[in-house]
Amino acid sequence: MTDASLPVTQSVVEQFTQLYLRSIGCAVERSDDRWVVSVPDDIDTEITSGRHTLIRGESAPDDEDNRTKRLHPESAFFQQLLREAGERSPSGKLSIEGESNIEIPEWVQNGPIEVQGAEFTPYYDRTAIVVLFRVGIETVSEYQQELLHAVAVDARSEESLPALTETFLDTTTEWTSSTPTSAVQLSKTDIQSLLGTARELVVDHVQGRIDEVHQEASRAADAEVEEYRQLQQQRIQELEDKSARLSSKINQLNETINTGDHNSRVQALRERKELKAEYEELEATLNELREHRDNGFPERQREIRERHSLDVQITPLTLTEVEYDRGEVDVELVDSNSHQTITLGYGSGIGVTDTIQCSSCGRKLTQDNTLQRIVDGLECVGCTKE
Amino acid sequence: MGGYDLVDIEVTQKSAEALLESVSDTETDDTHLQSIQAVRLQAGQPDTEFRSLKELDEDSVKLLEHQVDAAYRALFEMDGKALLADEVGLGKTIEVGMILKEMHFRETDESVLILTPAQLAKQWQAELREKFGLEFICNYDDKFASFEAHDYIIASIDTAKSERHRQTVLTREWDVLVLDEAHYVKNEDTDRYDLIKQLSYNYAFFLTATPIQNELTDLYNVVSLLRPGLFGTRDVFHQYFVNSNQETLINRNELQDRLNKVMIRNRREDTDIDFTDRTIDTRTFNPTPKERKLYQAVSDYVKGAYSQDQGQKLVLMLLQKEVVSSPVALKKTIEKRLYDQSEVTHADELESILDLIDEIDTVTKQERLLDIVEEARDNVEMGRVIVFTQFRATQQQILDRLASEGYTVHAFHGGHSSSEKEQIVEDFEEEGGILVSTDAMSEGRNLQFCNILVNLDLPWNPMRVEQRIGRVHRIGQKRDVFVFNMALKDTVEEYVLERLYHKIDLFQQSVGELSSILSRLEESGTSFEDEIFERLVAADSEVDLENDFDAMAVDLQEQRELADKLEEFNSGVFEGFDLGESDD
Repeated sequence: MTDASLPVTQSVVEQFTQLYLRSIGCAVERSDDRWVVSVPDDIDTEITSGRHTLIRGESAPDDEDNRTKRLHPESAFFQQLLREAGERSPSGKLSIEGESNIEIPEWVQNGPIEVQGAEFTPYYDRTAIVVLFRVGIETVSEYQQELLHAVAVDARSEESLPALTETFLDTTTEWTSSTPTSAVQLSKTDIQSLLGTARELVVDHVQGRIDEVHQEASRAADAEVEEYRQLQQQRIQELEDKSARLSSKINQLNETINTGDHNSRVQALRERKELKAEYEELEATLNELREHRDNGFPERQREIRERHSLDVQITPLTLTEVEYDRGEVDVELVDSNSHQTITLGYGSGIGVTDTIQCSSCGRKLTQDNTLQRIVDGLECVGCTKE
Repeated sequence: MGGYDLVDIEVTQKSAEALLESVSDTETDDTHLQSIQAVRLQAGQPDTEFRSLKELDEDSVKLLEHQVDAAYRALFEMDGKALLADEVGLGKTIEVGMILKEMHFRETDESVLILTPAQLAKQWQAELREKFGLEFICNYDDKFASFEAHDYIIASIDTAKSERHRQTVLTREWDVLVLDEAHYVKNEDTDRYDLIKQLSYNYAFFLTATPIQNELTDLYNVVSLLRPGLFGTRDVFHQYFVNSNQETLINRNELQDRLNKVMIRNRREDTDIDFTDRTIDTRTFNPTPKERKLYQAVSDYVKGAYSQDQGQKLVLMLLQKEVVSSPVALKKTIEKRLYDQSEVTHADELESILDLIDEIDTVTKQERLLDIVEEARDNVEMGRVIVFTQFRATQQQILDRLASEGYTVHAFHGGHSSSEKEQIVEDFEEEGGILVSTDAMSEGRNLQFCNILVNLDLPWNPMRVEQRIGRVHRIGQKRDVFVFNMALKDTVEEYVLERLYHKIDLFQQSVGELSSILSRLEESGTSFEDEIFERLVAADSEVDLENDFDAMAVDLQEQRELADKLEEFNSGVFEGFDLGESDD
């Protein structure tokens, strides 16, 4: 599961603003606290053409007008810039070069064997797509979440490439060097099919989080139902008390009716009539409440549970065609008294693609079961312990 | 977790039409990278940095790493609803101060209500003002009009729940609610619980060192106020986390996982705070025969007057305290009663007390104080000593006496303005000598540059004593601290010191530890000071008095043991989950 969001600090705000404005053709002159931005007439942007002053940070500009803007994470100008940039080129293509910075597998890195050199020989180009998905998990309670996830899928095999996702996220956070991008080459039909696979993968990736929110929301709903039940029980109790009081008053009046003189009898009869009506009404309400209670307040329960129900919305926001190389890497390994070169399947941005087994016991080499000895083939920790 | 039904869930895949449209757009201006970055930034947390920290005055408040972490998590990772449950003495108030400062900076604090136990309200006010520059009105201030009239309020929880204010407190939509000593609301059948439950607020920070007072249900109650539904229903919570014999926890890891979403608890051993040692030197002196005579006369008067009219309690208590502080303090109060308030019922008795005061030529405590400051002048950097007294008259007399002996002196009392107070502390630091202060020296003042403190007289409220000590013995003090207590033999002060304070090891307790001892004791309603006074005036004989004080000491000790046990239990639940055998 790869969280693709970026923390928005002041320095990131400044780097992004500068990069974006320059990439669309604006000139940015930086000084300590104020930047002057010149926007040419002929470029496609919501920012009006001409000169603008950007004031860094949150100090209130003393001469704020529509040409003087504040630049900080929550400033209206920066938010506008993000919206515009996000929608500007949601799709594109970039390449991940493999010659420099070869990723050495963890089963070597974590062990005692040294790497003297590594050389990558690309044999063929491969293509993948990387999609950024917004996953909105909506519910009434505070457990609502919005996540951004990246998923990489190989264009030919449609397999998931988690390592490429990582490389993609790292590459696109390099603020200083601008990675060249171009238009997407894949056909729309291919993309549609790959997008389908990516959608399935993203649901798999966030399923754990969805389950968690699902349970939290269910518990919150349950607590609310319980609270409602208690309230109603309390109300029933109050009404029962009231009903008992009324009933006892009616009994007293019965007494008066049986024993009193004419006037008091008439008065008592009148009162009894009123009280009886009230009593019956109360009993009806009570019966209704008791019935609801005995049935477990089905309507109210449904209403509460409906309100707490989860709506998960998955929206693809950007799509990047990523070109990467596949080939082989020769890794030169040395320890104190031996030297060996091994050749492994490798992809730029995805690392070593082969699974290597210990030549003694046949167990797979992993970050925990590292390479320990190279003198007689490749031997793992388990085989070199004794 | 069983016991409840899952709500419905619907997963919708939103259309990718717009995205696919953009794919056909072959004209690209090379801004795809920026689109990716913009989308990722939009999903990111809007700057989760403490932007207000740089505004804090480093001389007023030293922030520790665990405090900054706690404030950060409460604000940014717990969506502004958190239970701050550090062990005692680690600065939970500082954490809240930081949070409030940050919210103020971000303008998300239009109305803030801080509810505290009554005895801590003024201390909160002073700390927030002095350390964070945040101005709050306290319900004990003369200027306090109502819960409607101000936006930043510190109030005792009992005032807020009183019939007079309750409705106003509940009608208002508060931006921020802070609840100190949150374990006070552990019981869902109380008015306090009810008040918090009904309050409307956007953000809430609850503080307690002991989230569990008696049983795990306490925790359920407190957490459910903060995050309704986090633990589901009470029954399910019980079934799921407490085994049937109610003594062991089950599913501990899940309990901890869920608590982590709402609770922050730092332990002393996890922080890098190094508390220096504290040495207590209690010195009791024989009063002169004239002083003893005066003490006896005042005690007899107080006892007699109180038996006739209990309405005079406060002033009688004052006299009883003043007689052991200094004759001059006593004189002032008696003269006021006789001449300003035309007290006639006991005029003769009071006049004779005045005569006894006039006869006194040597004030024992003041003479002995010279020994201590002399010793300090020879041994301590710049001879810095802080002398505390409860009374302005005593303070003035000491200042005069010390000055006449050639000491550099500084006076600090409640009559100074804030800036004057700053200046006094600064002068004391630079010039050294002796600072004679009343208890107006509030918690927020930073006096770690001094490590010798003299209690010329002793408040009957142990919190006051600890607050005095806390002004020098606190985080940041690099040297061992020496505390001298001065008391006259066979007086109430000796009883309080010997029988009560030493019994509960008062001088080695922190404010937090004390507050948990005292708050349990005071839950019954009477204050510590009242207890002392009542016992003093009710005793028929010396033996009676001794027994009475011993009984009070036993109560205190019990509370202390309870508080200790509780602390142990809490750490068991929250950190090690080593509360007996696991049923998992």
